[in-house]
Amino acid sequence: MPCTRPLRALASEKALPYWLILPTIVYVAVFFLVPVVQALLLAFRTQDGQWTTRFLMRMVQDIQFGSALRFTLLLLAIVVPLQLVTALFIALLVNTRFRGSRTFLYMCAIPLGISDLAAGLIWFSLFTQHGYINSFLYGLGIIERPIFFLSAQNTGWVLGSIVLAEHWRATAIVLVILVAGLQMISRDYLEAAEVFGARPWQRLWHVTLPLLKPSLQSALIIRTILALQMFAVVVAMGGRMVPVLAGEAYYWYYLYRNANVASAYALLLMVISALLAWGYLRFLRPREVHS
Amino acid sequence: MRRLSVLLLAGLVASAATVVAASDLTFMSTQMRPITEAEWVRTVLLPPFTTATGIPVVFLGAEEPELTNRILAEFEARRGSLDLVGDLHGNFLVYYNALKDLGAELVQLEALGDRTLARSFVELGRIGGAQVYIPWMQATYVLVANKKALQYLPSWADPTTLTYDQLYLWARNIFEATGEQKLGIPAGPRALLHRFLHGYLYPSFTGAQVTKFTSPEAVLMWEYLKDLWQYVTPSAPLLDSMDTALLSEEVWIAWDHTARVKTAVMERPDDFVVLPAPAGPKGRGVITVLAGLAIPQTAPDPARAYQLIEYLTRPSSQVAILEGVGFFPVVAEAAGAVPTGGLKVLADGVAVQSASPDLLVSIIPGGLGARGGEFNKVYLDSFTEIVIRGRPIQEVLAQQGALLDALFRETGAPTPVPDVYLP
Repeated sequence: MPCTRPLRALASEKALPYWLILPTIVYVAVFFLVPVVQALLLAFRTQDGQWTTRFLMRMVQDIQFGSALRFTLLLLAIVVPLQLVTALFIALLVNTRFRGSRTFLYMCAIPLGISDLAAGLIWFSLFTQHGYINSFLYGLGIIERPIFFLSAQNTGWVLGSIVLAEHWRATAIVLVILVAGLQMISRDYLEAAEVFGARPWQRLWHVTLPLLKPSLQSALIIRTILALQMFAVVVAMGGRMVPVLAGEAYYWYYLYRNANVASAYALLLMVISALLAWGYLRFLRPREVHS
Repeated sequence: MRRLSVLLLAGLVASAATVVAASDLTFMSTQMRPITEAEWVRTVLLPPFTTATGIPVVFLGAEEPELTNRILAEFEARRGSLDLVGDLHGNFLVYYNALKDLGAELVQLEALGDRTLARSFVELGRIGGAQVYIPWMQATYVLVANKKALQYLPSWADPTTLTYDQLYLWARNIFEATGEQKLGIPAGPRALLHRFLHGYLYPSFTGAQVTKFTSPEAVLMWEYLKDLWQYVTPSAPLLDSMDTALLSEEVWIAWDHTARVKTAVMERPDDFVVLPAPAGPKGRGVITVLAGLAIPQTAPDPARAYQLIEYLTRPSSQVAILEGVGFFPVVAEAAGAVPTGGLKVLADGVAVQSASPDLLVSIIPGGLGARGGEFNKVYLDSFTEIVIRGRPIQEVLAQQGALLDALFRETGAPTPVPDVYLP
């Protein structure tokens, strides 16, 4: 029969991997590629099907664009390294397997389960005029009247509060990845280094960190992309004082009802994410081991 | 036993399905959307209607874009599930084509003889030659002051005929006496600051909402606002409404929408006074917010939707709405029913404001279609740049004014009230 040959080819062992990745490909196509293409069309085409850069120009020339870009990159540059260092420190601590280290790890991971808006509101209630911090300081007699941590006169304070909240909320994701990475490093390497007389600091620098590179890479990519999307915490604590790109995309879509300009913002975020991810992949590539 | 439970389950599913399909009336509204207000509509306002007529109503609160998109989608699909729509005057201008002409229903309502709908509002509801909506309720924005603040009012000023200059002196006196910035203007991400800018300050200083955007009078207005902002509470950029700030006494004087100060005035009616918004050189600029009821052309059951309109415009319902959510009646017969307590304080304040001889009424501009949000953005961005970031006024106004011009040119939106009355 003529149709058996292709059928047999489809059922062959060679085809099996393709069958196995098919669901992923379909998933990515439906939930990622199609929306990306739609966003591209929205950002670059008018309703009557004309190609245009009008929406892109509208975004770039918008009065909030410069500040939004600046604040997004600034927060990224502060939050991500800070989280990486903290997470690495806690991960190394957990990896010493001290008594109660598991409980400690779970406690550190609690913020992972809290939605970002809820986290923003929790920190807002700490910093606001009649919030916990002001009440505490007032109760101790340290201040006479509340300090306005979150006000337009104090953008530095506002940024600091956002960094603190974001640090508390999202360090755990980096931590979990690094702990998993550390646990995959075989003890043999460390013991060998010890035999050769490497001090703890040298073991960390020359053995643990290089072997942790793949995990660091994944953690950095995930965390950077999430930091670019940072939005709810910023809105809860910074209102309109601290505009960010993701927030502008939301405002344009929801408040200003312009899906075209909102898509332009979304695409910009995607391009920045892709560039940074490419950078991490390029510059944090684990070195080949030469024998 | 197993067969019995299967039968029972099937029976339950079938009866649930018939209940939903056969008799629910769907009422979607951009007003009374906050969770406590929506709950009030479902548990207090609508049950008497259902009891009397046997019509269960599903009340859905929706944001403007959600409601607009749904109506337009149902209109295009020629099949709908919404029976009744409650929305603001300006939004109806976006999708009036998808709505039924209620001319006959209006005649029917007025023939009942127990309600006189405000004529000017009925006229506003005639769009494109059809009676697109029936006036439902109205709201406005006022000043609320803690009585503790009154002693700091300049001695020669009358709080019921306040001017913006007097407001400035008042806030400054309080700051000098207490060391605190006690004036509240909501400027949070979901606040109504843009209404204060285009409907209160602009008309009061320039006589127009839009057409005098970059005028020398507008520059003076922004200089005034920058000065005033020294005495506005530093947390204003995070405050979406003034209720809690008034109750916690973080602010003593606050401007906001009546619905957003209502909780404070209701909770402590003896501590607050409700005052008309201040006047500027061109008059006392005030926005009237008008909400209406409309029936989509694709409504599954327009006859029963009319029954609900009849119920919601009854004087008794109108008073109930005022008591429940603080929207003011549009029916003359209801205005006479004087409530008590905080509501009376609020209603009296609104009445004094409406009766001010120098009143300059604005309607939120309509006809901007899907780009109404960008209109708000022009004013909010100007505010952020001039007042928060301290950029030169003329420079910002030139840039934002060009956007505003383009917005009206590209959408063909009509010149709003009161700009049309300018010589």
